[in-house]
Amino acid sequence: MQKIKPLDHLVLILGVLFLCVPVVMALMSSTHYPVDIHSNGLFLTPGDNGLATYTKVLTDRGGFTGDVTGLRMLMNSLIMGVGFAVGKIVLSMMAAYALVYFRFRFATILFWMIFTTLLLPLEVRIMPSYQVMSTLGLLNTYTGLIVPLLASATGTFFFRQFFKSVPDELLEAARIDGAGPWKFFIDVLVPLSKTMMAAIFIIMFIYGWNQYLWPLLMTTDEHFYTLMRGIKSILQVWVGSQIPDYNEAFALAVLAMLPPVAVVVIFQRMFIKGLTESDK
Amino acid sequence: MTRGSGPRARAPRCNQNSGTQVTDTPMTTLETERTLLARLRAWYSAEDANPTKRVQFDRPLTPWLFVLPQLAVVAIFFYWPSVQAVTSSFYIEDPFGFGSTFVGMENYGDAVTSSQYRDTALFTAFFCVVVTALSLGLGLLLAVKADKVIRGTETYKTLLISVYAIAPPVAGLMGMMFFDMHMGPIKDLFALFGHDLRVGIDYWDTAIALITISVWKQIPYNFIFFLSGLQSVPVPVREAALIDARSGWRRFRDVILPLLAPTAFFLLIINITYTMFDTFPIIDVIVKDKPANNPMTLVYKVYLDGFKGNDIGGSSAQSVILMVVVAALTVLQFRFLERRVHYG
Amino acid sequence: MQKLATATVAFALTASTAMAATDITWWHGMGGRNGEVINEISQKFNDAQDTCKLTPVSKGTYEEALSSAIAAFRSGEQPNILQVFDAGAATIIAAEGATIPAEDLIRNAGEEFNRDDFISGVRGFYADADGKFIGMPFNSSAPIMYYNVAAFEKAGVEPPKTWEEFETVAPKLKEAGYLPLTASQLTWMMVENFKSRNNQQFATNNNGYDAIDGTEIIVNDENQVMMFEKLKAWADDGLFGFYGAGWSDNLKPFEEGESAMWIGSSGSFGGLQQSADFEFSADFMPYWDSIEGAGTQSFIGGAALFAMAGKSDEENACSAQFFSFLTSPEIQVYWHKNTGYVPVTEAAYEMAKSEGYYDEKPVAEVGIKQLQLESGEWTRGYRMGFYPQIRTVMEREFNRIFSDEVSVQDAFDTIQEEGNQLLARFAKTSS
Repeated sequence: MQKIKPLDHLVLILGVLFLCVPVVMALMSSTHYPVDIHSNGLFLTPGDNGLATYTKVLTDRGGFTGDVTGLRMLMNSLIMGVGFAVGKIVLSMMAAYALVYFRFRFATILFWMIFTTLLLPLEVRIMPSYQVMSTLGLLNTYTGLIVPLLASATGTFFFRQFFKSVPDELLEAARIDGAGPWKFFIDVLVPLSKTMMAAIFIIMFIYGWNQYLWPLLMTTDEHFYTLMRGIKSILQVWVGSQIPDYNEAFALAVLAMLPPVAVVVIFQRMFIKGLTESDK
Repeated sequence: MTRGSGPRARAPRCNQNSGTQVTDTPMTTLETERTLLARLRAWYSAEDANPTKRVQFDRPLTPWLFVLPQLAVVAIFFYWPSVQAVTSSFYIEDPFGFGSTFVGMENYGDAVTSSQYRDTALFTAFFCVVVTALSLGLGLLLAVKADKVIRGTETYKTLLISVYAIAPPVAGLMGMMFFDMHMGPIKDLFALFGHDLRVGIDYWDTAIALITISVWKQIPYNFIFFLSGLQSVPVPVREAALIDARSGWRRFRDVILPLLAPTAFFLLIINITYTMFDTFPIIDVIVKDKPANNPMTLVYKVYLDGFKGNDIGGSSAQSVILMVVVAALTVLQFRFLERRVHYG
Repeated sequence: MQKLATATVAFALTASTAMAATDITWWHGMGGRNGEVINEISQKFNDAQDTCKLTPVSKGTYEEALSSAIAAFRSGEQPNILQVFDAGAATIIAAEGATIPAEDLIRNAGEEFNRDDFISGVRGFYADADGKFIGMPFNSSAPIMYYNVAAFEKAGVEPPKTWEEFETVAPKLKEAGYLPLTASQLTWMMVENFKSRNNQQFATNNNGYDAIDGTEIIVNDENQVMMFEKLKAWADDGLFGFYGAGWSDNLKPFEEGESAMWIGSSGSFGGLQQSADFEFSADFMPYWDSIEGAGTQSFIGGAALFAMAGKSDEENACSAQFFSFLTSPEIQVYWHKNTGYVPVTEAAYEMAKSEGYYDEKPVAEVGIKQLQLESGEWTRGYRMGFYPQIRTVMEREFNRIFSDEVSVQDAFDTIQEEGNQLLARFAKTSS
């Protein structure tokens, strides 16, 4: 269709370089010794400590109980990521649907009630949030880990933007076919939103996956350890009493990238599908 | 904005006789009224004044069922804690909850009268504009290019998006090592141009580091959404545009950009909140948790006073000020900017 | 139905407490190797007896641990034992009722407690005005001066004991091609421990120990200002390197062999052994010979353990048992050797010495010896609320001093003023 100039590739390659060189350096640095990283900084070439590092990170049984393995941390992070992303998509699609496709009393007030939650991140209201969770008896539960994070309007806002740009003819056509609000939502809007769902899933999965402070505050049980806590714990060394195991932190970070990247690759197919479907 | 040259012809207006299920949104007449009350009402019903669906369902109960889960979560996990934060802002209290003194507006007074706080506010505004502009601009540029090329497109996309997946503490650590004042490669880069980069000592050098890392972290986010916005532009529209407008830039400006407007508006607001609120871990890493006289944002100050210093009253007051300011900003954007956004 | 379930749960709970050991929890703020040593010590405690079962929980950094505990306390979910860092000690000690004084806890449990068992520099910091231990000193450190042995040989001089000696030695080190001095965390080294090493008053109300109300910081006095005017002059002459507030930025030149001396923590030597590929040694942090009564011991840094209130007698007895276990010489020496922190009791120090540990690693002894120096009127510690914020103000002003934005006197006048505002705010938290 359009002409592709070499310049386009150049821009993309520069962008990839700017964004990805640090990631490559993380990967390379994970194969070096911590003292070398401490003294020389990041590496662009592989070292010879890679196998040992990755073996240790994957098999080491850490924590007091000895149950904190790489696998358990991975699983907890996955639960956080998937739970948060799915919860967010379901809640926010429904809410956005109500706000865009219905005319009802108090809609404006509801709109602003939901949208003000864009304004204050959890970190700022973290102390009172803890008290609320404790009152509800949700400390040390996955529910308590995931649900409070859902109280933000990013997803709702995004789907509102998308629904508003969906052609009105669709609703008119559906109405002629005799479709009610539920049928229209499930049969028309949800399939239409695939591309958007894929984009928001990626973002929200990584958001949940990367949580640190809230799980730290909320849980006292080592069984809830996530990869992020593992990484932070390695890097947290007091006034140079030891050299932190930078290589292990980088290795964990590289491992921690794999599932989100897998999500990206899987959903990439949906990106493409979304495109071809709107061709019809 | 695109009324004349829009890709789709607008469907004929639906009339009142379209049954009970669907009705028109009535035209608002409030704008002509001059009373304060009416203007106030016009203001808070902004949502209706904005371009919205011409056809909507009109059922009293169903929308509540759809909105209820979100509403419940928001009420319990946002409003309940926030009310407590507002209450705390009028007290100076012992963090463990043993003693407290009601001080009225003193916490607010202490915050806004400090010259330090004003400097921080100014920097936050500057930081916000720069980071938002750069990360939106670069994200859009890359998305447009990635949408355009055919060869290697999946590779570019995967690479660009996957950066977003790097764990924040490690991203921070890498940023710190890149800008390290003794061995950082970026220090060497600046040395080539004769500038001695001293992140952590020099105010603006630290600002450069903060901006670079914040933009770096945010580009993939904008890239994903811009790309998904671009890919939902139907192919016939693109092909029509190709015939209509020869120059790539004009095609982009007249056809693609208007179609991206809803996404761009969403991203603008999200990016502003990102720079305001989500950049404090980056600051914490770069200043090595000792801000000294380096630039910081208002939220970092809240974090410093509240979470690290345990001054619950003072930090609550600062959060409330922040909330009010950002709320005002957001409302303004919805009121004035969204009018220019054309939905389908 | 629900009642039945609740009853079953309640029965199960009482049954389990009657049969099994009493569970207690310990929240700490340590990661890396130190976090592992905490797990090992807890395991040793559980293996040593069977009435109590201790579970250590990592709660991120010191600040995150304290904030978590505050949130938990307000909801009645607090741990039995909490680790609190030096600058945060005033917050938890001021909240009477949040903790049980360590001494009371141990005595109530019928165990012995003797203040004189502890190294003298450790006794005062976490105690009240009467010397009663509120917190249990746990991981302690002292600021000491590390030096590059080859640098001093090359310059043909001896490491300085006083700042006056430093002024004669430093130019020779410079001639020999070295940056004579760098120092990490000037707040800890050049303010807090300047006060302690030179026996200078740091705050009114007996360094803040006697009362919260009306406590004022003392930093814009002649001697304190002199210390920084010297540092600034040294920096201008290339005798002292200032690299901002970050700990590692100021350590790096020493690790690279560029600077001849570095003032850091006694606990840093473990890391230095790995990162410095030259011979280094250490000595006490210098003091001013010209100040009368100077040369006294330093304040301890690090953290202490606090027993939190609102727990059953059985659990408190277990906490007491653990505190006693922790101060036993064997555990102290284990901790000392594995983490680089100094032992807190005389007995533990003697044991490490008799095992020949200091013949092997003489640097490990410097911090302890400095804490055992003669004490003075102002050396037991300081107690100021919102102290983390006061440190932030100091760090800001120090950067300004070294970038020529303010004079030393003006900077300390600002610290004095803003520090006192913060202290006045803190006084309102407890009324």
